[in-house]
Amino acid sequence: MPRLTAWGRLGRALARRPARALGRRWRSSLQLRVLASTLTIGLVALAAIGMYVGELTSGGLFDQRREQLLSEATRSTQQAQEFISASAADTFTGVALLLEDVTTAQRNGGSGERDVFLLRAPGQTGVGVGATATDRSLVELVSRELKQAVVDDRQHWQSVAIPVAGGQVEPGIVVGQNVDVPMAGTYQMFFLYSLQAEQDRLDFLLRTLAVAAVAVVGLLGAMTWLVTRRTVHPVRRAAHVAERLADGHLSERMAVRGEDEMATLARTFNEMAESLQDQIHRMEELSMLQRRFVSDVSHELRTPLTTIRMAGEVIHGARDDFDPAIKRSAELLATQLDRFEDLLADLLEISRFDAGAAVLDAERRDLRGIVLQAVDNATPLAERRGSWLHVDLPDVRADADVDPRRVERILRNLLVNGIEHADGSAVEVRVGVDATAVAVTVRDHGVGMTQDEALHVFDRFWRADPARARTTGGTGLGLAISLEDAHLHGGVLEAWGRPGRGACFRLTLPRRAGIRLDGSPLPLAPDHDEPSVADAGPLRSTDPAALPDLPPMTGEIAIVSNPTDPVRTDVRTDDAAPTASDVAPTASAARRRS
Amino acid sequence: MKGRVLVVDDDTALAEMIGIVLRSEGFDPVFCEDGDEALGVFRATQPDLVLLDLMLPGKDGTEVCRQIRAESGVPIVMLTAKSDTVDVVLGLESGADDYISKPFKPKELVARVRARLRRSDEPAPEHLTIGDLTIDVPGHRVERAGRSISLTPLEFDLLVALARKPWQVFTREVLLEKVWGYRHAADTRLVNVHVQRLRSKIETDPERPEIVVTVRGVGYKAGVAGT
Repeated sequence: MPRLTAWGRLGRALARRPARALGRRWRSSLQLRVLASTLTIGLVALAAIGMYVGELTSGGLFDQRREQLLSEATRSTQQAQEFISASAADTFTGVALLLEDVTTAQRNGGSGERDVFLLRAPGQTGVGVGATATDRSLVELVSRELKQAVVDDRQHWQSVAIPVAGGQVEPGIVVGQNVDVPMAGTYQMFFLYSLQAEQDRLDFLLRTLAVAAVAVVGLLGAMTWLVTRRTVHPVRRAAHVAERLADGHLSERMAVRGEDEMATLARTFNEMAESLQDQIHRMEELSMLQRRFVSDVSHELRTPLTTIRMAGEVIHGARDDFDPAIKRSAELLATQLDRFEDLLADLLEISRFDAGAAVLDAERRDLRGIVLQAVDNATPLAERRGSWLHVDLPDVRADADVDPRRVERILRNLLVNGIEHADGSAVEVRVGVDATAVAVTVRDHGVGMTQDEALHVFDRFWRADPARARTTGGTGLGLAISLEDAHLHGGVLEAWGRPGRGACFRLTLPRRAGIRLDGSPLPLAPDHDEPSVADAGPLRSTDPAALPDLPPMTGEIAIVSNPTDPVRTDVRTDDAAPTASDVAPTASAARRRS
Repeated sequence: MKGRVLVVDDDTALAEMIGIVLRSEGFDPVFCEDGDEALGVFRATQPDLVLLDLMLPGKDGTEVCRQIRAESGVPIVMLTAKSDTVDVVLGLESGADDYISKPFKPKELVARVRARLRRSDEPAPEHLTIGDLTIDVPGHRVERAGRSISLTPLEFDLLVALARKPWQVFTREVLLEKVWGYRHAADTRLVNVHVQRLRSKIETDPERPEIVVTVRGVGYKAGVAGT
């Protein structure tokens, strides 16, 4: 039994595969579906017609034959009655012999072979003679109900199944009527007719019908297949060509033949492809022009700017020899040239993104190294602004395929932005890593921003508060460029903020090209309601010693020293990422030097 | 030590300004405005360093660079307005040692020029070996089995930096600082391109380098001697 179920399971498994393949084919082939439905409808219709015709024919044949047999039986019974009545038999033996004779005589009296039974009617009393039959083995076919029915002196009939040699049966009919026999009382005469001839005719007719039906269904199938083929083929061809077009083979076209609907489809399709090709070419050309324009502008603007800048520096260098107004002018010239240069650089960078000319120069790097480098570079600014930076790194390598230059730029922008808005409080940098992504969050506890503002921080030249003085003199393009840099990696850059509770920026990058991000290793918003900055007085203090107790975190270091600090330099090595033991000595030491 | 600097730039204002700055630092600038004449001026003046604009009338800057490099190992610093990868790499591959993107500050320019003119001041009677090469540091010679290999000063410096600490893996940033004199990490493509160029001269099979070995994800180190 277990063997059997095992085989059964194997059988089911084997059956499932073709079933699945068929299912796929069913879903993918319009032709198959049309063919199947046509054949199904045709078969059902033909079966219904066949059944109706068969029923009608068999009924007609049977009724006709029955009428014929009934009248024949009536005549035969009369004949037998007359014969019996006319006989002079006066002994039981004579009567018995008479009945025997009548039975035998009637056997061949009708149209073709029949069996005759002469049976005593039920309910007769007194002495009778035995029943006679041409074939005693078939007497059982005369049912009790029929015998009872015949008692009323009228003719009755019943359909029966006649057993024949080989265990088969033939359709038949038994017809009976009363016969009066002298001395012995009432007898019943039954005739058994075979209807096999009619059955044969019916079978032949039905076979012919079935053959015709199969032929019709076959023809129907063939026609449907041909018609759908003619219809589906061009559609398939169009689908194939469309696929080629989508793959970038823009010069692919359909063959146009004739004037019919299919030709129209092909023509329209080709027109569409044509206009598509034109547009793509136009856009490619535009993009190329744009790129060349960016490059030209870059060169044309930068060369004179270089001259101006050098001249400015030379004048600035000699400013002590001038009178105060000219000296101040030289200083203004120098600082504004810096700003102009930054703005130009950012503008060119963003137009490079717009032209699609930005390329990712990716290599596998440990994100922790890049973060440490960026934090190092931002430390002097943090010190000037009375702020400090906390770094929380994971113990494991955070390797990802990134363009280090771009990631450094993103981090620089986020750090500068965080420090600028931290208002002298801590800026927390966290790195997270999971199987598919690496992430960095930069969190400040400054004035924060509204949800609406968080939606706009990446807009070009957008400023949260136009009235706010910008001492670090950002160009207004930094976060917009960072967003583009993140997108170029296939990553995301998001912002969160609440007024009075600070802001958080999160950069999430896929570890390998082609990974689709569906989350981040780090949360963007703080998961619980932190006290707002206004409530946490010590947080505003610039002295880390005044900080509320921070949860001890592995690998956390507070970078507050200047970049040349010897303790820091060995941690700083870029690719040889620091392990937990490397950074542990400084872990809980939140120091600040000036 | 002060040197003669050839400035090849078609923008006369910028060239003049560069001249003013260089002269104030004690250098001796000479000028050329046209790519076609650059090689002639170079031969006539024998400068210690060339500042070369990449976009020139006549011959293209990269072509001029290639021609000068073909006959001299003199340091070449490109002036480029294009910081696009392709242009910079093209310039570096044509033989330039370093590049400055416009707009630059006078101090930056002077620092770059000084860094390239600074010859190994280290008092070192050094003979280094790296792989199957022997390096005579003061004599500025590299030999393999008695045959001398000609390197530009920059390639030589790069090789010496690696050979002096054969146990150490150098990140690209560290090499930038040691060889090019960059304080802060700049463009690591400089290192990549020059390592390729160095390999093409010193490796028996540049496809499978044995002297300057890449350490994946970190940087470069000297190959183990004798293997």
